[in-house]
Amino acid sequence: MTRNGNQPVAVQANQIWFSYRNHDWVLKNISLSIPPGKHTVIMGPSGSGKTTLLRVLAGITKPGKGHVSVFGQSTYELEPRELSSLVGYIPQQLGLVRNLTALENVLMGSLGRLFHAKTLLGLFPRAESERAREALDMMGIAHKAAEPVFCLSGGERQRVAIARTLLQHPRVVLADEFASDLDLALASEILARIRRAAERENITFIMNMHRIGLARQFGDNVLALSNGAIVPGFIGNEILETEAIEATL
Amino acid sequence: MRSTTLVPLTISIFLLAALAHLGFFDGQRLARGFRNLGILGSEMIPPDMEILPTAGAALWETVEMSFAGTLLGFLAALPLSIFGTRRLFSLWVAHIARFVAAGIRTIPVLLWAIVFVILFGLGPLAGTFGIAAYTVGYLAKIYADLFEGTDPEILEAVGSTGASRLQLVRFVFLPEGANAILTQLLFMLEYNIRASSILGFVGAGGLGFVMQVYLQTLEYRRLASILLLILVVVLAMDSFSAWVRKRFLLTAQ
Repeated sequence: MTRNGNQPVAVQANQIWFSYRNHDWVLKNISLSIPPGKHTVIMGPSGSGKTTLLRVLAGITKPGKGHVSVFGQSTYELEPRELSSLVGYIPQQLGLVRNLTALENVLMGSLGRLFHAKTLLGLFPRAESERAREALDMMGIAHKAAEPVFCLSGGERQRVAIARTLLQHPRVVLADEFASDLDLALASEILARIRRAAERENITFIMNMHRIGLARQFGDNVLALSNGAIVPGFIGNEILETEAIEATL
Repeated sequence: MRSTTLVPLTISIFLLAALAHLGFFDGQRLARGFRNLGILGSEMIPPDMEILPTAGAALWETVEMSFAGTLLGFLAALPLSIFGTRRLFSLWVAHIARFVAAGIRTIPVLLWAIVFVILFGLGPLAGTFGIAAYTVGYLAKIYADLFEGTDPEILEAVGSTGASRLQLVRFVFLPEGANAILTQLLFMLEYNIRASSILGFVGAGGLGFVMQVYLQTLEYRRLASILLLILVVVLAMDSFSAWVRKRFLLTAQ
């Protein structure tokens, strides 16, 4: 995952330092470079800084020091609408609006490119509605389109969150502890669907995860964090094939 | 002394001191009060139902005033509460909006009614504006606090789609707060029906004017009829609220 000559870079972070209210550093001198189309899994024990790193890469949290760019554009210099065409973000609790239906939640992925007042009345262009249904179908949940999110199971909600991000059509998606509370078989099925959707839509996924088996299934690369720093030697795809990471985590 | 003993003891001492100061331990006065209650009760029975046509018209005016006032206040409170949400607007915009809401809320509904009687003259129009004003102050504060408590993860997730502030209001703040918005609105409507029944005391229309006349002329049987009418309306309002909650509140199945 290190920078490699003239190859395009999806996400580039240079010497990122971050602390909450001037307490101890949560992220320490993180530098990384993720090529497009290579799905990356960030692993590490609780409190190692995984979520903070993801939020910094997504442009939600600004680092104390350092610089992040996505496809060559500095995330902190972009307007939210411009950033949304590059980066999608799924928080740990998914960030779905519980009182709205699955379809309405997915349609929210299109808000960044819809300026007209009709959306405020809940009226979306037909093309967006069709794409939203396609995204739900791709995630195998089209039959739940009209159900309010609070009626859906955990796995169904995960699919809705992914479908919302697919409709947003960013070039990079960052997902925090995705599929972490699902049983292995279901998580595995959802991740397989995400990989297919990502290839079709040409999206690079970066996910926090704590299950090695799922990381091996999903990730092309793994990045291990410990105490806010990248574990030396644990950056790159070769580590997915070894057992050494299990001992570290 | 441990705080688990000290706190209840302090509260008890303060309560006793307050009761003594307020005259709760004046046995003669309390006995006289209870005797008078008996007399008043006996003079109210049986209620005089002949006044129902007059009281019914005044009651309908009261219901109209509270319904229109509550909804007008609600419509004004929503935008004010959105401006008062620090997650959507800068700190000074939110402070100004909250200051306006606090200022409106400081003035009791009866005083608002007097102000609008001065502005618009005697009658239910003044009462409707009075109720609307108090509703704005109350609901704007409750809704602004409600919106500020919206799950930050949802705001971040929907915000990362590039949604504008207005779109966040429409697709996050309002649907996430829908249950509480409706519950508070119903509470306000119930409260305003009770409150508007005394606005007539200051000439702002409704039942209050009729009540005042019967109180001043010592016609307690007629007053009892009015109180019964208010009870019926409040019970009907409770049933209506329960139906609305059951029909519209979103709950997991």
